[in-house]
Amino acid sequence: MATEAVPQPRPARRSRHVRVPLNVSGILFLLGLAAVWQLAMSTGLLTSSFLPEPWEIGKSIGDLTGSGELTSNLWHTVYVTLVGWALAGLIGVAFGLAIGLYSKVWRYSMASTEFLRALPGIAFVPVAVLLYGFSVKMELIVVTYVSIWPVLVNTVHGVRQVTVLHDDVARMLRMSRLERIRRFTIPTTAPYVAVGLQVSLSLSLALALVAEMVGNPTGVGQALIVAQNTFHPEEMFAYVIVIGFVGVLLNWAFVKMIERGFPGTLSLDGEQR
Amino acid sequence: MSVTPQDTASGPLPLRVKRFRRPRRNLAIPPLRGLLPLIIGLVLWQVLSHGQSAYYPRPSLWWEGIEHEWQSGALKPAIEATLKSFLLALVISTVLGTLLGILIGRARRVDRALGPFLEFCRFLPAAAVVPIAVLAAGYTEKMKIFVVVFAGIWPILLQVRSSVRSQSPLLLDVARSLHLSRERTLRQVMLPSLVPSIMLGLRVAAPIILVVVLLVEIVTQVQGIGSLISTAQKTFDAATAYGLLAIVGVIGIAVNALLAALEGWLLRYRPDGS
Repeated sequence: MATEAVPQPRPARRSRHVRVPLNVSGILFLLGLAAVWQLAMSTGLLTSSFLPEPWEIGKSIGDLTGSGELTSNLWHTVYVTLVGWALAGLIGVAFGLAIGLYSKVWRYSMASTEFLRALPGIAFVPVAVLLYGFSVKMELIVVTYVSIWPVLVNTVHGVRQVTVLHDDVARMLRMSRLERIRRFTIPTTAPYVAVGLQVSLSLSLALALVAEMVGNPTGVGQALIVAQNTFHPEEMFAYVIVIGFVGVLLNWAFVKMIERGFPGTLSLDGEQR
Repeated sequence: MSVTPQDTASGPLPLRVKRFRRPRRNLAIPPLRGLLPLIIGLVLWQVLSHGQSAYYPRPSLWWEGIEHEWQSGALKPAIEATLKSFLLALVISTVLGTLLGILIGRARRVDRALGPFLEFCRFLPAAAVVPIAVLAAGYTEKMKIFVVVFAGIWPILLQVRSSVRSQSPLLLDVARSLHLSRERTLRQVMLPSLVPSIMLGLRVAAPIILVVVLLVEIVTQVQGIGSLISTAQKTFDAATAYGLLAIVGVIGIAVNALLAALEGWLLRYRPDGS
């Protein structure tokens, strides 16, 4: 779903990758939307104190980039997102493998995991602010904690897709435990881990923003709040548009990376868990 | 026709023979003993935590914190406000998401043209929309619902859209050859075939909706549990914050369980619900 809608400028190197044509109508729609919006505002058809003209938003993006404000804020948010996401990925896969591989561990911990996962992560933000103050550490802990769950649960689910039949084959071929993991567990689990990581990535970005809005006063989250309080709608829209594009871009980069590194892994479509 | 006394006396025939079940290695539902680590952790916390820890108050103090909130009369309306927003947003997202999903999925051209726009909206973090919604609608219930629906509609819309796209044309051919009206086609052919994907979207959307309701409450201090947690944080009342967190957790788990039950009921006619 994601790969199809995002335009791909670079021709694919491998023959199995079908080149997705540029979505001209999609881009035209976006441009048309902006044009209609601009037209309605400049002809006075649409007047609003909070809705800026697209032209102003574009200018604001330029100004904020020129002053370096946007770049430094964006860099901070993206940095926190990626570091928190990577940590969550490591922890999630490690615990997921432990729970999935050993049925005893599964029996004695999965219910706890499901319980903790059902806690809405966002509610932890104020508690984290209380515990760790306004710091990057707090941001990272919030982002990591929330992003662990999709990876962990998907990993467990993936490992458990290795069936009794696989075991039988392995026993028949007298495979060692290590070989069994290499031949069966990893290929079976990888697609699920990939989906978990994909869900976690957008979650990480969202949580980094929230942590910045409520707690640590830096990054795009804080800039949004400042723009709101000082009543600069054009700056606000500028940040919103930029962060939306960053979200799409991160997802696109992840999908590309997985497709290149582990082809066929993202075969599960749609959102899982 | 007469019923012989024997028939009634022997009661219903044992039609249901207990089915032999192969021992399954991969149970679907984790056993409850898996809660042990959590319980042990909480008990250890209770026992080991000394006195009035400012950051890690023992679980028994959480209860006092909640009780205090309840007696001050702030907790009940907050829970009600959060649940009300949650349900309202859930209904709006489901109805709107399904309708838009059908409309967009049916028209290939429109689908393609809207692709990048939908992609953008879907990856836009809900938190980023909050300031815009506040500017537009102020700190109101309306603003809350708007942001929540904006975040919660995508899983349902996109799921329905892709399901409509891959829907078998036979279904609509049948409707056409039976001369069903537009409305009946939608109600009796389209919607039933979409129930599984609507439910899948709903399973993804419901936790998101709950999270975003809390998010808006935390960020903007609109009435709800989120704003209570945020207040507890600002007054360094850790015990109450943990207690409220537990309440939120119970709501989250209840929502998950209810959705699973609803899905089981809606798809009860399927031989193997999956």
